[in-house]
Amino acid sequence: MKYALIRMLLIASALAPYAATALDIQLPAETAAFKPSELPGYVLAQRNCIICHSVHYIQSQPPASPRSYWEATVKKMKVPFGAKIADEDIPAIVDYLVKTYGAERSSGN
Amino acid sequence: MVKPTLTLTADALQRRAFLRFLRQAGTLGAASAFGSTALKAFAGESGRVTLPFENGERELVAYPQKRPLIVLTARPPQLETPFSVFNEGAITPNDAFFVRYHWSGIPTSIDASTYRLRIGGNVSTPLDLSLADLKQMADAVDLVAVNQCSGNSRGHLTPRVNGSQLSNGAMGNARWTGIPLRKVLEKSGVKAGSMQVTFNGLDAPPLGNVPDFIKALNIDHALDGEVMLAWQMNGADLPLLNGYPVRLVVPGYYGTYWVKHVSDITVTGKVFDGFWMGKAYRIPDNPCACIEPGKESVKTTPINRMNVRSFITSLTNGMQIKSGRQVIVRGIAFDGGYGVTEVAFSPDGGKNWQTAQLGKNLGKHSFREWSVAFTPKNKGNHELLVRAVNWIGQGQPLSPLVNPNGYMRNVVESTHVVAV
Repeated sequence: MKYALIRMLLIASALAPYAATALDIQLPAETAAFKPSELPGYVLAQRNCIICHSVHYIQSQPPASPRSYWEATVKKMKVPFGAKIADEDIPAIVDYLVKTYGAERSSGN
Repeated sequence: MVKPTLTLTADALQRRAFLRFLRQAGTLGAASAFGSTALKAFAGESGRVTLPFENGERELVAYPQKRPLIVLTARPPQLETPFSVFNEGAITPNDAFFVRYHWSGIPTSIDASTYRLRIGGNVSTPLDLSLADLKQMADAVDLVAVNQCSGNSRGHLTPRVNGSQLSNGAMGNARWTGIPLRKVLEKSGVKAGSMQVTFNGLDAPPLGNVPDFIKALNIDHALDGEVMLAWQMNGADLPLLNGYPVRLVVPGYYGTYWVKHVSDITVTGKVFDGFWMGKAYRIPDNPCACIEPGKESVKTTPINRMNVRSFITSLTNGMQIKSGRQVIVRGIAFDGGYGVTEVAFSPDGGKNWQTAQLGKNLGKHSFREWSVAFTPKNKGNHELLVRAVNWIGQGQPLSPLVNPNGYMRNVVESTHVVAV
């Protein structure tokens, strides 16, 4: 076992062109994705939200979250959190989020 | 570019190189040549878990230097410790310790030999320290302390509160090694009239013009000799996702202050009002940090010291035990740094209480293990409660306190078991 480890390290040394003192990691691939929808906000959410964070932030919220929560949150992402969301796109994004992840979900969602 | 050689035999370097190797091997598709056990552990033993609240389905994924943890969010990583870990001992292993970031610009490669820590602002001698400088500045000290997220357990609130939907695993207890922040501040010469000290780390917002994650402590607190700049937890280098190479340790205070990958410490002449102090992480400014539901306007203050909590760890909801046979119920308790002095256990939903035996005292900031003997006399359901009291008499409420952001949950926890 120990021999195997040393052998692996030797191979690792040959493979890894890094400074000996750097600690580097590779994060696992991101798998969460927005639920497909006919609503116009689906494409807009894909375009805007996931620039900065994974879809988990949205899909893990309590399902009873009302429209007022999604609207306040999308606006917060713009100010102060700096997302470049066009004002005219906000209602469609909110509509998609509340109907897909929030209080206005239809059954089966 | 320095090519690693067999002088890498120091434990930490060996581990790092090994991790790096595993990643490389995976990337190159060489996995099969070396057996799958270790690679599997790195590449992610996946699984799923359902936390006990609506929409509580989560993935379990092994991040670098971590065992499979509960993924709340992938980018930035927010990973929760599976609760069973807390039944394995008072110390939370590094690879099981929870992870919480605010912005997705997190460092994924940090070179300890080029890392710098700058101390400036309202000081007579600004400092620019290497890791070696920092380690040589004073004798290293050890402290066992709990780090708990302000929003730990938010998912259990009724009614639900938006924000990170955590179960009870955004907490951990470790032995931290570093030097008192005071030593560094004294060396830099804090000027008279200073009000606060701010802390910034290498993590950054993904976009410009956005409030970087910067936290502040009052100057007296920063100089109390207990707040620490730590480079080790549980005898090993910090995992990258827990703040490698140096993080702030603020014993007794919520994790929001425990800034990771600390890079800039700034002494200020006024109260720092950045977003993460002035707008976020604030609580009602009253003794219970609570507010009546629906009542919005109340004076607020930055969240600070943790309240008292206790958990049963050896039994979980729905577990079956033998009727008429004694079981030793075990758990943990902790508070904001005064030290837990008493833990009481109720076998019958709060009608009767008995005093639990406290385990080894690892210090006033640590998890305190406790145990109590319990013999279910009748078959059927039993509601087990636990509550702790600390050295200054603070306890836990029987019904949850409410605040707008769902912080500081510390209601008396209840565990339902079935005697058969």
